[in-house]
This record gives sequence, C-alpha cells and structure tokens, in this order.
Amino acid sequence: MRRRSPPSLVFSLIRAALLWAVPGLILVTIALGLVSRNSSYRGFDEPLEASVLGLIASVEARPDGTLSLSRELPEPRYQRALSGRYWLIGRVEGDNEIAPIISSRSLYGASLEVSQDILTELSTQGQEPVRFTTAGPDIDADEMLRVVARQVILPEMTSPVIVLSARDVAPIVRDIRNFILTAIALLSTLTLGLILAVYAQVRLGLRPLFDLGRRIADVREGRAVSVEGDYPSEISPLATELNSLISHNKKIVDRAQTHVGNLAHALKTPIAVLRNEAEAASTTSSAIVSKQTDTMAAQVDHHLRRARAAARGQAIGVRADIDPILDGLVRTLPRIYRDKDLTIDRTGETGLIFRGHPRDLEDMIGNLMDNAAKWTGSRIDVDVLTLEDGICTVIIADDGPGLTADEIETALKRGARLDEATPGSGLGLSIVKDLADAYKGSLSFSRSDSGGLKAVLRLPIAVLADE
Amino acid sequence: MRILIVEDDADLSRQLKSAFKDAGYAVDVAQDGEEGHFLGDTEPYDAVILDLGLPLIDGVSVLQKWRADGKTFPVLILTARDQWSEKVAGFDAGADDYLTKPFHVEELMARLRALLRRAAGHTTDTIELGDLMVDNRAARAFVDGMAIKLTSHEFRLLSYMAAHKGRVISRTELVEHIYDQDFDRDSNTIEVFVGRLRKKIGTDRIETVRGLGYRLLDPDSEAAE
Repeated sequence: MRRRSPPSLVFSLIRAALLWAVPGLILVTIALGLVSRNSSYRGFDEPLEASVLGLIASVEARPDGTLSLSRELPEPRYQRALSGRYWLIGRVEGDNEIAPIISSRSLYGASLEVSQDILTELSTQGQEPVRFTTAGPDIDADEMLRVVARQVILPEMTSPVIVLSARDVAPIVRDIRNFILTAIALLSTLTLGLILAVYAQVRLGLRPLFDLGRRIADVREGRAVSVEGDYPSEISPLATELNSLISHNKKIVDRAQTHVGNLAHALKTPIAVLRNEAEAASTTSSAIVSKQTDTMAAQVDHHLRRARAAARGQAIGVRADIDPILDGLVRTLPRIYRDKDLTIDRTGETGLIFRGHPRDLEDMIGNLMDNAAKWTGSRIDVDVLTLEDGICTVIIADDGPGLTADEIETALKRGARLDEATPGSGLGLSIVKDLADAYKGSLSFSRSDSGGLKAVLRLPIAVLADE
Repeated sequence: MRILIVEDDADLSRQLKSAFKDAGYAVDVAQDGEEGHFLGDTEPYDAVILDLGLPLIDGVSVLQKWRADGKTFPVLILTARDQWSEKVAGFDAGADDYLTKPFHVEELMARLRALLRRAAGHTTDTIELGDLMVDNRAARAFVDGMAIKLTSHEFRLLSYMAAHKGRVISRTELVEHIYDQDFDRDSNTIEVFVGRLRKKIGTDRIETVRGLGYRLLDPDSEAAE
C-alpha cells in the first residue's frame, strides 16, 4: 500500500492559522451585530416610552366615556396619515383586538393588532411597559411597527386601557442591516488580509528551506558540487550535514575507485610476469600456467570493470566536462591507430556537462570511439546533441563493416566481448551499456549512413540556469 | 638497435630485458623515473619502453621532460590502469604507442618493431639490400635466401646499418646503438665486428669511409643513381 505523503508545510501552517482565525471572525461578526441591534432598539424605544408617558399624563376621561388629550404630543408625524408614527389608547375587546378609544390622526382610524400573548403580558405586567413588534396600518408598504405599550387605569375609569405608541421599524432595520453588512465586509477583508499575511509570513519563514531545496536540486542535477549559501541558525546545521554527506559519499566513491585502480595495478604486473615466465619456458606446467594466467587476466579485467561500474551512477555532486574528454580522445585515437590514417570529425554542441563521474564518461565514450576506430575504414563521425531536456546524445558512427541485429544483441549481453577478433585492450560494449544504465541513460546501435556501426549514447547532463 | 626499458617491477624488467636481448637488441634497464629520465637524456636510444606508474618521477613527467629536451626516439608506454585519461595524457606527453598490462611479450615486441620501422621509414620488418635480407622479426639475416649465422652483436650491427642503409655511420654512433650500458665499450671492437660481418655477408657490402665511419651499400639505390 502506498503511504500518503504528508501535506506541504505551507499548506499545514496556513490551515492551522485559518482554523482559529475564521471561526473567531465569524463569532465577532455575530456578537457585533447583536450588540448593535440591542443598542439601536434601546435608542429607538426611549422616545416611544416618553410618548406613552406623555399620553398617560395628558389624557383625560370625559363623563361620556370618551377620552381627550389635554395637550397634543409635539411630534408632528402623529398628525400625518400613515406617517409611521402612531399612538393609540384603547380597550381590549375580543381575543386580540384593541378597540381604540382615541388615537393619533396618523392611524387614520385603523387599529393595531396585538397578539394574545402580549395582551396577557400587559395584564400581568401592571404598570411596566411591554415592547413588541406588529404589523402597521400601511399594508401596501408591508409596514412593521415597534410598539411600546402599557396597561393603565385612568382616573375616573373603572376598567383598564392600553396606551401604546408605535413607530415604523424600517429605518432601524435598514441601519442594522447596513451595520452588519459593513461589519461582514470589513471582517472579510480582514480575514483575507490575514490569510495573505499568514501566507506571506510562512513563505518568508520557509524561504531558507525552499532555497535549500533548490540548492540540493542543483547538486543533484550537477549544477553545483555542494550545497551553497548562508542559512539561518535553525537550518545551517542541515546544510552543513548535507555537505559533509555529499563529500563523504564522493570520498567513498573516489576511494573505491582508487582501490579498484590499485588492485588492477597490483594484479596486472604479477600476471604479466607469470605469463612471460611461462611463455619463456616450454614444459607442460608452463603451458598450464600460461593458459591460467590468460584466464586470470581476463577475469581480473572483467570483474574490476564490473565492480567499478556497479559503484557508479549513485554519487551525487560529481560532474564532468564533456569537451576535454572528447577532445582528448579525438586527439589520441588517430595516434593509437596510426596505420589507419584515421579522421575523426567531431560536430555538434560544446560546453555540456555530464552529470556523473569523469572516469565513467571517459570509459563510455572512450570505449565506443575505440571500438569504432578498431573497425572503421578511416573515418569516425562524433556528434553531440541535446534533443531532450537534461539529456545529451552522443552519436559515434564509423564506416566499418557494422553489426547485424544478432551481433548487436550479443554485444550488449552481460560479459560479452565482440571485439576479440581485434587485438588490444578492447572491452565488451556491454560495460558501456551497464554504465549508461547506471546513470539512467541508454546505449543503442544501428546502421550508420556509410553502412558501419552507429552507437547512440544518451547521458544525463547538468541543466544550467539560463543566463 | 638499442632500447631502454623503464619498469619498476624487477621481475618484469628482467624478463623484458632477457626477451629483447634474445631478439637482438641492446637493452638498458632503469627501475625508477629518475634513473630512466637520466638514461634517456644522456644515451642515444633507438626506442624506449616506459611504464607510467614509476617511483620518484611518474612516466608521463619523464616523457614530457624528454620531449621538452628535444628527444625524438619513439616511446611505447605501459599502463596497468587502462584509463583513457592516462592514455590521453601519455600521448599528449609524446608517446607513440601504448600497451595495457598484462601483455604478451610478442605483442610488445611487435609494437616496438613497428615503432622502430616507422622511425626509420620502413614498412615491413624485413629490409632487403639486393640479395641480402635482414629479418628484424626473427633476428636473422639471409644471403641469397640462405640463412647466415650471426652472433647477437653482429646482428645488431647489421640491423642498425640496414635500418640506416646508404648512410655513413660513425664508429661512435655504432658503439652507442649496439652496446648496452654495461658493455665495455671499446670502439676497436667495432672494427672486429665489421670484419667478421664482411666475411659472412660479403666484403664489398660494407664500405669504409676513411675518417668518417662505415656505410652499408644499398644496391637498389646505387643502381638507381
């Protein structure tokens, strides 16, 4: 089962910040809305209560049972029809109907609907005012009224009357709505700002880490040989450790190669001595020694190369310029194959850097070119191209006899040697393939334009930043 | 022909010395880079076999020094490491050929003969002067197709003169090219060898140029002239 990779650090930090910030801001918005609503209503109710008191103070009962005001309330809107400000003094009649005894002109003869609950509350509250909301007389405008009412027993009256003062709530509802909308807008902006601030802070805080990641990629891709740059104290031990790890790794590979080289050197001279000694004599045992030393020489050669190839391809932070190695071979091979009057035509790109060990590059290109030189009539074409990102293609073509499909298959088989027919220290092309594979490159063969062998070697190169 | 072998492995250098001596060469041996450089610098060798992994001074540096001093003798380098960079460095320093250890002595000899041949401007191992044929590969000489018996010194003398046929060669030059370092070099012995050689291949083949030296006549070019 594949384990899910943990979420990115940036995502986690932003999520943690938002997890408390967003609910907090929503709660604040709600609380602010409530506080503002309550205070708005309180400010709204006070004039209503004052007018109820004013009405109680100025109402007079007439002997005929009607009521009159000794003095009109000062608010002019009570005089204008359906103005949104109303007062009414009336008796309770029926279930939830108040029969007006006297009311403001603005009511235009209409009554106000009061629910049973409010009426019960009025009768139990005594002198205390009761506040509630009900539908207003202006039905077209869907008028809603805020009402303050009290139940009182007027002098010279036996039954209680209800005194109420009412006002259209539309303006205050509008105010509260505006307030809440403004608050939501402001707090949303704040939340957005907060998210951006957190993101910026996280990016800023993690910048050295991102930087470190890039530097490591540079090393991995061969653009740099060690992790460079200054890092904050929290990260700098990591960079230092990485560098020492890279250098340790490199040292191990170098040491392994030196050991292999030393072993080769140490074994080959004694084998040469044994072989010569045996060849000089002509006894049965010397023939056996001679045969066995030949086997030993071949085995040592084969296994040393394979051991070397196995250790390769893994080290990071190593790289090799392709040009000097190619130029060296272009210079040297015609001298080695002097009798052939060899011409090597090198074309294509320059300045490429192989992402791997110089010796491996040398072994791969050297052995392919050597093989070409061995079999060619007189001409080798070497072309270096970058057809894909991060990959360079080295094409080595000769005008020799070429290989059949079967021979190509045999050549690439592990441990195979196709070049035994030609003397010298040639090696199996399979080693070149092993090395190319170790670097996640490839080696393939086809027929060249001139009928010879065309080797196509693909190798990873360092992708340098655009300048 | 006189050659120098610079090889630090005592057994290998002994074997090579003996094999090359048997093949008719005058052979000097040096065991380290310093001695090798000194000998190459002071003695007129016809060719040098140079191991690259040497104590004191490495082979490539020795070769560079020789070439910087204007030494033109052909040099065959021996390498155990089989690294292209080593071969490139060797050839850049002025090597003429290389061989990777372990090698067969026959192959080394064939390579060296090829170098000597090339240096003298010949294309084969055998040099023909009329009915006289010198086979450097077998270290033998024939007159009219009949093998003649030569001592190793006599063969070296004939081989060197054949490689430089038609040219007057001084006694000193002959001494330098047919004797190795350890030999008691008395130039009078050259006269003795020339006398013996004349008896075996025919008196009129070697001309004495008074005060200058000897000349092996090449009937083909004489006829052409």
